[in-house]
Amino acid sequence: MRKINLLVYSLALFLCFCSKPQRQLDEVRVRLTKEPETLNPVSYSDAEGLQVINLLFQSLLVVDLASDELKPALVVDLPVVERVDSFTYFNYEIREEATWANGSPVTAADVAFTLKVLKAPLVNNEKLKPQVEFISDIVVDQNNNRKFKLKCEGFMPEMELLTGDFFILPAYLFDQERLLEPITVASLEENTTTLENNQRIKAFAEHFNSSDFSRNKELLQGSGGYILDSWVSGQYLTLTKKQDWWGNKTNTDYLSANPQRISFQIIPDNTTALMALRNRQLDVLENIPAAEFQQLKQDETFLQDYALYTPSSYEFVYVGLNSRLPKLADKHTRQAIAHLLDVDNMIKVSQQSYATPTVGPVPPTIKEFYNTSIQPYSYNVQQAKELLQTAGWENRTDGWYKKINGQQEKLTLTVSYKAGNTVFENAALIFQQSAAEAGIPVILQAQEGSLFTLKSKSHNFEMFFRSLSGNPFVFNFKPLFHTSFASQGGFNYTGFGNAESDAILDEVITTQDQAQKAQLLRRLQEILLDEATFLSLYYQQERLAISKRFGNIKTSGINPNYDVSAFTLKE
Amino acid sequence: MHYYLLKRFITALPTLWLLISLVFLLSRMLPGSFSSARILDDNAGFYSKANAESREKAYRDYLHKTSQDLPLFYFSINAAPEPDSLNLKYSESDRQQLKRLAWHYGSQNIVSEYFNNLQQVENQLSSNKKQRLQNELMVLHTSISSHDLVSSAQKVAEASSTTAASALEKKTIQLVKQQNPYSFMLPALHWHGLKNQYHQWLSQLLQGNFGYSYRNNRAVTEVLAEAIGNTWWLISISICLAFIIALELSLLMIQHPHSRWKKFTLSILFTLDSIPLFVLALLLLVLFASPFFLQLFPVYGMGFYGSEPNNIFYAIANQAPFMVLPIVCLVLSVLPYLTNQIYRALSDAAQANYTKTARAKGLSFRKIVRTHILRNALLPIITLLSDMLPSLAAGAIIVETIFAIPGIGSMAITAVQSRDYPVIVAIVLVIAIFKVLSNLLADFCYALADPRIRYSTS
Amino acid sequence: MNAWLKDIHTIWQTKFGFRAALIYLLSFIVISLLLPFLPLPYQPNVLDLEHIFQPPFNNFTTSTSVSHWLGTDGLGRDVFSNMLYGGRTALFISLPVMVISTIIGITLGLNAGYYGDKMLKISRASVIVLFIALACSLYYGLHIPLQAIEVKLELQIVALCYIMLGLLLMFLFLLLHPLLKKFMVFQKVFALPLDTIIIRLTEVLTSIPRLIFILALASFVPPSITLLSGILVLTYWTGTARLARAEVFRLKEILYVEAGVSLGFKDRRLLWKHVLPNMLSPIVVAFTFGLASLMTLESTLSFLGIGVPTTLVSWGRTISGIRSNTSAWWLVVFPGAFLGVTVLALQVFSYYILSSFKEKKQM
Repeated sequence: MRKINLLVYSLALFLCFCSKPQRQLDEVRVRLTKEPETLNPVSYSDAEGLQVINLLFQSLLVVDLASDELKPALVVDLPVVERVDSFTYFNYEIREEATWANGSPVTAADVAFTLKVLKAPLVNNEKLKPQVEFISDIVVDQNNNRKFKLKCEGFMPEMELLTGDFFILPAYLFDQERLLEPITVASLEENTTTLENNQRIKAFAEHFNSSDFSRNKELLQGSGGYILDSWVSGQYLTLTKKQDWWGNKTNTDYLSANPQRISFQIIPDNTTALMALRNRQLDVLENIPAAEFQQLKQDETFLQDYALYTPSSYEFVYVGLNSRLPKLADKHTRQAIAHLLDVDNMIKVSQQSYATPTVGPVPPTIKEFYNTSIQPYSYNVQQAKELLQTAGWENRTDGWYKKINGQQEKLTLTVSYKAGNTVFENAALIFQQSAAEAGIPVILQAQEGSLFTLKSKSHNFEMFFRSLSGNPFVFNFKPLFHTSFASQGGFNYTGFGNAESDAILDEVITTQDQAQKAQLLRRLQEILLDEATFLSLYYQQERLAISKRFGNIKTSGINPNYDVSAFTLKE
Repeated sequence: MHYYLLKRFITALPTLWLLISLVFLLSRMLPGSFSSARILDDNAGFYSKANAESREKAYRDYLHKTSQDLPLFYFSINAAPEPDSLNLKYSESDRQQLKRLAWHYGSQNIVSEYFNNLQQVENQLSSNKKQRLQNELMVLHTSISSHDLVSSAQKVAEASSTTAASALEKKTIQLVKQQNPYSFMLPALHWHGLKNQYHQWLSQLLQGNFGYSYRNNRAVTEVLAEAIGNTWWLISISICLAFIIALELSLLMIQHPHSRWKKFTLSILFTLDSIPLFVLALLLLVLFASPFFLQLFPVYGMGFYGSEPNNIFYAIANQAPFMVLPIVCLVLSVLPYLTNQIYRALSDAAQANYTKTARAKGLSFRKIVRTHILRNALLPIITLLSDMLPSLAAGAIIVETIFAIPGIGSMAITAVQSRDYPVIVAIVLVIAIFKVLSNLLADFCYALADPRIRYSTS
Repeated sequence: MNAWLKDIHTIWQTKFGFRAALIYLLSFIVISLLLPFLPLPYQPNVLDLEHIFQPPFNNFTTSTSVSHWLGTDGLGRDVFSNMLYGGRTALFISLPVMVISTIIGITLGLNAGYYGDKMLKISRASVIVLFIALACSLYYGLHIPLQAIEVKLELQIVALCYIMLGLLLMFLFLLLHPLLKKFMVFQKVFALPLDTIIIRLTEVLTSIPRLIFILALASFVPPSITLLSGILVLTYWTGTARLARAEVFRLKEILYVEAGVSLGFKDRRLLWKHVLPNMLSPIVVAFTFGLASLMTLESTLSFLGIGVPTTLVSWGRTISGIRSNTSAWWLVVFPGAFLGVTVLALQVFSYYILSSFKEKKQM
């Protein structure tokens, strides 16, 4: 017994040690929900990794979170676009002051090197390779090694964004043996089997795919304002500011490296993270559960130290109905289903009312393009029943029947969603209940991710819940809604589209006139709502808390929702 | 002695091999893989970042690069019309169609020729025409009804009027005409030789290479080594504590066999035994770490770190409160069984003759318990402890998941969820080896403690 | 058998705990069976979106809704009815699994013990025929029907497969086997090490913790109750098999000593007659323990969200609701207590049976 007592005492003594650790002033502590799988600037796979890499490396263009606009980062200005025959050229010039971590300048050769890495076979670049496939070559200016042209096939409005959207890699550090130097970007378009036997590519791929490039702080040094200081698995990651970073000397306010140190704490669970926040151990916390966010809002002492923000995100949840199916071919049937979606309760259950219902895929925050003259479908069982009758369904005791292709068919729905996603699952459950009220039996099918994608692509579904993330710069809805993308494998899963919508989609991407663009997009939203194959439900709101010690926060709906490198300590 | 241990180890090897092969083969045989989810599954946004075909191609390149496109085993048996290994030049949905057609129409050759023709036609079509023929092309890609196939092929041929299209039409008619619907009743054996996934994996494994995690391309051994530390501490501290408490409890019960206190303890332990571990963990959470009741301990994780954890005491002090609940949880979960077994071993020893002799000599019971009985009961306890380890490992999975401790258990769960098969296979192997080793260790201790075993085995 | 029932009767009369446990278990089974006919205010999957995360004992009865006695979860599902239906699910999964795995375990264990390594003499002809028969059964009985369903062939094909299989088996056993027997080479007889094979198999299955084994298997298959039950049966027969095998070995020794029967029983029925009654108590104990551990495992898996579809009403599903709201203690306490009490009752039940069995053995 005495031993047990001793144990209890020593344990109690132990606990006394845990006083609050001292905080360094000029350090920002950010919470990560999970550990980044890798910090490799080419094969990164998660948002956490991307957030950290963004501070280490830079791409040609960057989004200024203060204004949600695209701005030049490594380059002097936005690209000059030339269109020659079927090709489009993007002319860039790299900033003169831009340097790597060792002080050597960033040149067009580094961009060429990056493209080679992204396009080479055998290298772990599967995620980014398809995104740069349209860039067929790079032409470096003979006189100025900072000027170059990217040669692209065809033209799409998003190309500008995509040409500036990959991290530029330091050739001197990543390819010390100059293995890729003799290989040209254009040659990488050739037959892959011959390239795969290229000894240089083989050697480079082996070198680059090693785990060194995902964790080693000696290698992961880019042109960004920070360098990786330490990474303790499962615990934390710290970055320190570069001395005399070139970006601070440019007179742009969106290229900044202000905090001396940024440390990313890996705290998987929300509750711990909240406790850490309450103990003033964290400066930034995102994705606060809605219920807890409500509580924090009431907490006076907490609000003295922290400010709460709810920027509207660019991610929305939508329902897709397969209009190719005979039973869903009639517009009225789909509208009836739309009336059975209890969006308010879906928002209440999974977002605690932190979301905005929307009529279409254009975010309500973009007032310029959002159509305010129409309203989303209201939850109304009676109206749904009437619409079903209009569509020719006959209400019998055990459900709705209609003669389709000479056979009596009963109206049933199979709702699929990605397994493990509670937001979709809750929404599907709520829909199931309201559909049952209208007399439509609904079967829920949680499908494992890849199966779900495969089934959507092969149009093997009836109704699904999905989410999409957008942005405020490019509105090219062609892949989503144009009939040319409705064939197998295309992104137009629902089979939406008619001649008018196709014409609008083609015009939106070519028109330069903002007023005309707004008109076209508004009309598109009307058609989408009326056709009811692609039912946008709501745009989510981010919920984050940031310490009041810092100013210059720049919250935004675009991930990562704030610009940590811009934080300045308030006096 | 050494010979005996070696023999034991070698006899355990086939079991290990069988187990690990089973897990490996199962993991590769079933559809849906990590990489397909990563590379193919990309939502379109307001603009498309890449078209579906280039994604497909990147995916197939990835499979080829990681030799996941090789046949699985040395041989395979499938139905005669089915192609031996469905060619990776087709996308997954096309492969399914290929298989469907092969089964329905019974001819592997004609079906693959049909598919080649179809691809040719599609490459030649202008995008305008393609869009107009969209429905027909979709039928050719998904339908199995002979009527639909022929009529769609005819429509395509009429509309495009190329030689490839008419060839496609002919092929389709041939396919439908030369139906041989029952050919799948015959099996076909294909021999793949040494160039197969299983062979490569096993030979790598024998060289000590566990493979690379799909998620971050790090060596599995490295990932495991990182995670195993936390689990090791969690398990070893828990088992030591549980052992000490169980021993003290059973010694007390032996000394006071008829007290009311003993009955009380036993019934408490009995009840404790019936509470499932995850409920126990959650109850502890609700009671001691939630604002609802007592917020004594931090809830999850392994602490958050400042920039100055160089001091080991500081690190321990920081981490300790996070470990309290998980450890308490594990200790409580094994305590009933452990106490019961130790108590039984002790009371068996107390019945034995030497105890009676010692009592006759006039030694106090307390002293007898602590010296004679304990020493003699130690033997069964050794086996007991080695038996406990695997079940503790299973307990650690639950505890680590609930308290979010980065260890083997929570790694197993995330690996299962993201289908990181190399990691799953490695975890299974490590735990199996661990069990074999702990059995061997128990045998070894047993033999050291009891010379009779040594003689009987060698 | 009669003696055994008599024992139970004596325990029933003397031990209060046993009586309580048995009554609880019987009423648990009865309630589970009758549950769909009981007048519950809410069905388990009904969402009451007006009242989410409602704490228990919060009496409100308005004209439109009745109060939730034990509160609701994040979607307004009634905890009380989820708790009852969760018990039903646990029973409906674990009972069949345990029955099947006990039958498999007894059969394999008895045969392993009976034949040992040396006594199952088998001719080469039989081995060949058996092997071909097994391969045929797998191909025509499993592979082809499954694939046929996958590629959407008509169902007649499946029937055809089984007819084909029947014909093939007839051919093998009625024609090929006697034919092969005519040749000297195939007549040669050797012993099949059945015992070793079965022991190895149990070793494979028990060499890692069951939870990890199931996790690994469940990661490869889509969540479904049938598949999960299959996996569970696969892992749960080993304990019973070991028991049965040990019992046969014990009996062999006794018979050997008593009757001087040299190794090899002339009459197999003699074995069943002696072994089965003796095994009844330990098997009942193993059965109840298995049942308890299965119920726990089922809830654990659905708590972790692995292998069990999320639409299935289950204790684990209700309990996992605590993750989204740590102050909702009622989500853990009520289903957890129900699960705990059920496991406790099963353990008490087997405890008394075991102790009576031990007493008898000592006598």
